[in-house]
Amino acid sequence: MEKLLEMAKKVCDKSEVYSVEYTNNHVSFENAKLQNIDNKFQSGLSLRIIKDGKLGFAYTRNLINREELVQNALESLKGGVEAEYDFPLTNDLPKLNTYDSSMEKLSGRDMVNECARVCDHLKSNTDGEIEMNSLAVTDKLRIINTEGTDITGQSTTYAMFGAITYPGVGTGILRFFQDKKFDKFPDDTANDMIQLYQASSKVVEIKGGKMKVMFMPNSWITLTWRISSGTSSKSVYEKISPVADKVGKKIFDEKLTICDDPLDDKFPGARAFDDEGVKCRPLTLVENGVLKSFYYDLDYAKKMKAKSTGHGYRTSMWGGDSITMKPIPALSHLRVKTGNKSFSDLLKSMDKGIIIEGALGPHSGNIPNGDYSVGISPGLYVENGEIVGRVKDVMAAGNIYETLKNVVDIGDTLYPTWFGAWVPAIVFDNVSVAAK
Amino acid sequence: MFQKLREILSKIDADYADVRYEIKKESVISFSGKELTQIGSNSTDGYVIRALKDGGLASVVFTKQSDAEKAVRSVVENAQLISKNIDKPVKLAQVEKAKDTFIPTLKEDPRKVSMEEKLELIRKYNDIVLGFDKIATTAIGYEEVMREKYFLSSEGSEIREDLITTRLRGELISTEGNLRQNIRVAAGGSNGFSTIRDQESYFEKRAKTVIDLLKAKPVKGGTYNCILNPSMAGVFTHEAFGHFSEADLIENLPAMREKMKIGNKLGNDILNIADNATLPDQLGFYKYDDEGIKVRHTQLMKNGVLTGHLHSRRTAAEFGEPISGHTVAEDYRYAPIIRMGTIFIERGKHTFDDLVKMLGDGLYVLDAKGGETSGENFSFGAQYAYHVKNGKVGEMVRDINVSGNLYQTLKNINAIGNDFTLSKVGGCGKWQANIRSCYGGPHILVNNLVIGGV
Repeated sequence: MEKLLEMAKKVCDKSEVYSVEYTNNHVSFENAKLQNIDNKFQSGLSLRIIKDGKLGFAYTRNLINREELVQNALESLKGGVEAEYDFPLTNDLPKLNTYDSSMEKLSGRDMVNECARVCDHLKSNTDGEIEMNSLAVTDKLRIINTEGTDITGQSTTYAMFGAITYPGVGTGILRFFQDKKFDKFPDDTANDMIQLYQASSKVVEIKGGKMKVMFMPNSWITLTWRISSGTSSKSVYEKISPVADKVGKKIFDEKLTICDDPLDDKFPGARAFDDEGVKCRPLTLVENGVLKSFYYDLDYAKKMKAKSTGHGYRTSMWGGDSITMKPIPALSHLRVKTGNKSFSDLLKSMDKGIIIEGALGPHSGNIPNGDYSVGISPGLYVENGEIVGRVKDVMAAGNIYETLKNVVDIGDTLYPTWFGAWVPAIVFDNVSVAAK
Repeated sequence: MFQKLREILSKIDADYADVRYEIKKESVISFSGKELTQIGSNSTDGYVIRALKDGGLASVVFTKQSDAEKAVRSVVENAQLISKNIDKPVKLAQVEKAKDTFIPTLKEDPRKVSMEEKLELIRKYNDIVLGFDKIATTAIGYEEVMREKYFLSSEGSEIREDLITTRLRGELISTEGNLRQNIRVAAGGSNGFSTIRDQESYFEKRAKTVIDLLKAKPVKGGTYNCILNPSMAGVFTHEAFGHFSEADLIENLPAMREKMKIGNKLGNDILNIADNATLPDQLGFYKYDDEGIKVRHTQLMKNGVLTGHLHSRRTAAEFGEPISGHTVAEDYRYAPIIRMGTIFIERGKHTFDDLVKMLGDGLYVLDAKGGETSGENFSFGAQYAYHVKNGKVGEMVRDINVSGNLYQTLKNINAIGNDFTLSKVGGCGKWQANIRSCYGGPHILVNNLVIGGV
């Protein structure tokens, strides 16, 4: 890596080498039976160079031919991608507890046994079809640049996710569990799954109209994608954010506080620096409904005469292969502040409405505008504060800048969801629901 | 190359094993508004091993050659761990071994077009759109992906195949006051750079449509009878039906597997559905899958009756049905899974005008914008639609999301057009991406679809 940086230095003004090593072991159970074990050992390296305010970008899996990599970066430089920013000099990083060495020795057998235990528990308490996955990940990241930065991060993540699906329907109650080391799938989570599944086994017919809905961890992505779009410096720069001129103004219900906190190492995947080597810090996006800040990477910070907030990540809406991607502004550690209502309190405050356990098609629709229109699958129908069954062929639609103004109550439990976000269940009022 | 793979294969102590090595070359040009945001060409590579031992089948992926021994050890251990924890040993359907090299014929090899020329062309399309008033921004990307694949199995197969995909896709965003509208653009295919040329009038037309959307009213949520255009009909076929033709998705869902059993009548008599990745010059085209099997035309539904599934060697043996050659990986970072190739509803007999008359009142829904399926329920967005009243196409409406139930919808397809169009850009995301996922068909008339609106 150092040699590569030396070579790059000779032909450009500034350069950066990003390298990653990654192992992943995935055990999957289908219909409560072991189906597959898939193992991955991957590594790769990416080079960014800047010369005369232009960017060159190149990557490879195996650093066999340094000249070729530098050459690819120089070729790409000719295209003329603007890069007015500087790479940072980063040191004195906070020490985060992100790595647990026991994960290096975690055996496939332990993962298989734990999946089998949870499957047995779910199977013996329901008539649903059970799927369960166990995932062990270790990764190591290093960034060096010509400013003198040389920083390393190492982390371990153990995750389990599984579902009880309604037979013949193929959709069901899914939950996600995450830690820094191997641990048992929490009994409480498994029992919640069983309870929700049983309460919703009957199909009920409903009439469409405006009603209360509860977004659950697996449907929250509908909202997080749109919140991320609206508060991104990239959207503001491109003039497509509906809240570009609303900093300091109320955009959501005052009960809502939304942050991004990469430093909180209680959660797996905490980060002391982003994918550009900028020091991470907690950032409040929305506080008591008031828009506080947008998030920036180096590029958009420079374009908008701001400072990077440490949100330059090599990712996309769907994640992706980091070495092949240029950093963009991204929220990697989104947290929505919990309220004080238990799940049964939330049901009571709903009185009547739909729990959106899963959303179909959260990626379609007009995301920049905040519009959403999703199939509810599964959707649990609540009447008199109790779940009475599940609905079929029902959609929920709205715009987050309306929906998030109408918070009824917020749950007291933080759930892990996709792409590093942790959120509570929230009940919103006045959401449009279409039914057959 | 094969010699290196033979050495790896010889070290695997298993009943069956295969090794796939791939070099993946990617070129990218992307614009965000008027700004060029990425350009360059790069090459990466890696290996995938699968091993069957004592009835357990496992896979491993690695990118460093020096990890080969560790990977071989891990995949055999995992196969044994599986074998000790399952009741029914995995079997692979018998296949003939193949020794072949297949390099596709291209209409203009993208590797022979300079980066400068590509950049100029993409910039031209982008500038056409940005030249219109009320266009806020664009996000347009050109990608060229070449997979140079080497497949070797312990049964003696040795296959080299290249897959070269060109794709130009993106989003155009228009704005007026507080309203923003978006529309997608797509061009490309499997047979060369010619698929990217001559798109000027297409970009102009799409820009006009996204500006028209600013004036369109949001659709009112509810149940509608609809004509779906080939893009929407294709997404329905792919999302709602196609995924349950993939045997790996239903293998371990007993109730679903029963519903999708061959011989079951699920659709109207007029409905025929096939997957045919052997169709030349289509996005979905390939010769061998990543288990080294030649892909075949697979009739999935005939006259409304289920007639076939898409299989891997494992599921073909499990289901006792013929292999189909549909086990495909995104690239060297993944073991292969069952994927559709080119799936479509077969042409019917009605003209578009017939369909509009038969519809009477309802919606004409155009151009898919993302779809998803969860069990028998599906949901997908459409980029725009028109009201149809008294058999006439009327005003444009926006914010269209269609949701429904697979089985009911199959029975509600009441008429099929005599036209036929297949998609040019794919992006199915079943655990891994498939950029060659191709779908389409004719215009179709479907009754009782739930439209979400906003």
